[in-house]
Amino acid sequence: MQAENAAAASTSTSDNDWVKLISKDGYTFLIRRKVAMNSGTLKNMVSVESNFAEAATNTCTIDDRGIIVEKLCEYLSYKNLYKDSPPKEIPDFLERLQPEIALDLLMAADYYEA
Amino acid sequence: MSRRANNVRGPTSALTDFLRESGITPTTIARRTRTRNQAENPDQPEAGPSTAGQDQDQPANGNREERGAAENGDDYDSDNLDEPEEEETPAPKKRKLSKAAEAKLKAKEKAKAKKKTKKRGDDDDDDYEDSDDDPYNALSKMWKGDLPKPPIGSFEKCAKCKTQFTVTKYTLAANPPPGWLCHPCAKSGGSDPFKKPAAPRKRKAPTDKRVVVYFEEKKFPSLVSLCIDLLGNYIDDVEALGDIGNLNLDEIAKTISKSRRITAQNAPLFYDVENTRLTLYDVTNLEAPALCALANLNPNMTHLRLDFCGRIDNEVLRHWKTALPNLKRLELLGPFLVRAPVWQEFFRAHPSLEGFLITQSPRFDLECMRALVSSCKNLKELRLSEIGLMDDELLDLLKPLAGTLTSLEISRPGSAARPDPLSEEALIDLIAAVGGSLTHLNLSHNGDITDQFLFKGLKPHTRKLTSLKLAGTPELTNAGVAEFFNTWVATAQTAGKTPNPPLEVLDMDRDHQLGADALFALLEHSGPALKHLRINQWTAASQESLQTIAARAPNLQTLDVGFCREVDDWVIKSLLESCQSLKEVKVWGCQRLTVDCPRKRDVNIIGVEAGQLVS
Repeated sequence: MQAENAAAASTSTSDNDWVKLISKDGYTFLIRRKVAMNSGTLKNMVSVESNFAEAATNTCTIDDRGIIVEKLCEYLSYKNLYKDSPPKEIPDFLERLQPEIALDLLMAADYYEA
Repeated sequence: MSRRANNVRGPTSALTDFLRESGITPTTIARRTRTRNQAENPDQPEAGPSTAGQDQDQPANGNREERGAAENGDDYDSDNLDEPEEEETPAPKKRKLSKAAEAKLKAKEKAKAKKKTKKRGDDDDDDYEDSDDDPYNALSKMWKGDLPKPPIGSFEKCAKCKTQFTVTKYTLAANPPPGWLCHPCAKSGGSDPFKKPAAPRKRKAPTDKRVVVYFEEKKFPSLVSLCIDLLGNYIDDVEALGDIGNLNLDEIAKTISKSRRITAQNAPLFYDVENTRLTLYDVTNLEAPALCALANLNPNMTHLRLDFCGRIDNEVLRHWKTALPNLKRLELLGPFLVRAPVWQEFFRAHPSLEGFLITQSPRFDLECMRALVSSCKNLKELRLSEIGLMDDELLDLLKPLAGTLTSLEISRPGSAARPDPLSEEALIDLIAAVGGSLTHLNLSHNGDITDQFLFKGLKPHTRKLTSLKLAGTPELTNAGVAEFFNTWVATAQTAGKTPNPPLEVLDMDRDHQLGADALFALLEHSGPALKHLRINQWTAASQESLQTIAARAPNLQTLDVGFCREVDDWVIKSLLESCQSLKEVKVWGCQRLTVDCPRKRDVNIIGVEAGQLVS
């Protein structure tokens, strides 16, 4: 909530403010804007040029279960952290994926262009 | 010194060459001398060549012992070796030699570079080893005539015709030596004076070829690709993948196809013994064995669609012949490897086939068509799109399908070499035969179609047609199409037949002569029934006629009015207001639309160029 207030307080958006993702079963995730920008769809949703409600409130509702959204956030953070690293230093993300959610995650990843 | 180490040699006498071929070189002799330590060896004077070239085995500066020995030996002096070269430069020989040497030099430098990566700084050793494994392989000059070639530009008498000629660098030696040939004699003798000496560099090539360097650009892995990798890893353990039932497998197939990642490994995800329908959208990476496995794992399949199936070959189709006994509908995009006899076998094995839809085959021919029509009596759906061997005769064979055939597509026939192979008369004949039962007809991109086809083909013979596609038939005229739609119903009624129902799907893309009259007439004929309409490039359609679309066709779902110049914000506004089920409007090239082009929830308006400039 703190972060949300902070975001609301500063009308100018910076890379370091927070974006809230809400899963369809009610879980809430806060990620940095620069992390969210690694998903093409989220980037469009929260970009300041658009008139979407998501951009105005910095809140996106994601039509997936919490466990999927969590993994999506995890991947976005991972990508944000390592996208400029040389290939040898990038740890394997595959081992952090559970096969149980592979199919759901695949669909979510496709939709959110992650 | 480095030049010497690189094995560049000057000319040598025949005797030296002969001795060298027998393995006798100054170095070996020097070594022998040193080891034996016998000064009275009688062979030594002869072994030292008078015009001794820089020897290939001449050790580099590192090998001081041998050098010392060479200096001690009074018979040859390595410092003098270069001098004779300048005196008696026989041009052709020099060229050959230097070429051979060059090739060797390159090969050697490569070898050296390789070695240097392994052990650096050990140059002395390298040079010594290199000179050892570099056997002399140029032709012996002993057999080439002893006289050096006269200098270029000098006069010489031809050995054959005795005329005087100027020596050039292309001058050849007479075949039974001695002497030189003038240009005409050299040519008449069968040898080409301009022929370049065969490059002796092939020797190293094979080893070089085997070293294939692959460059793989490492991209940051997307979550989609990671998930697909994971699916591949767990494909044998379906339980681990959780409950697939509630997921839409078709959506997953689309997602994986999007990145062209359906492989033999993860394809079994979509397979099931009870499966009757299967659609895969990009099977580029499924090779022949995987495509056979597809049939084995879905033995009850009735409906199969594979896009980008270029790997389907004769073997696969022969396998499917027996492995998919229940197949009723087969849709393939790009089965260009399958040959005509195999298609025929396949049709004979599947008499119950009801739908056969292929796009892109340069091999599907008359005999295939004959086999299809004679074997599959119940054929309802036929698509032969982009078939290279299409012609009028092939159309004739379709006539027996009258009565059963409901959907027919013969689009983009022919190839670049023979465009538009189908004549309008043949198409009219075909429709006269099979038109009565057709509900769907697609004859797009048949350049021969004119208004005649509408009047003689469609108007009198179709009874049930609801979907008509005649895109890319630029000969159709505005007045002709208008007349056709205006009189379609009336003509049937006066003839006492049931008129054709209104169309639900109409595609007359890129028929650029069409305009307002045609649009008014078609809306009058089938307006309320229309669901999908494409009038792309009807550039002359007036704004008034475009406004009428909204009024007359309230049930439209998709509309393509690209490059209809008169479309403006008002046309879009009325469409959005009156067509409640509208999903998609394409407006590429409609430049009168502004940024304020109206929008509506759930309606995609694609291609507003003004909007793009702003955002």
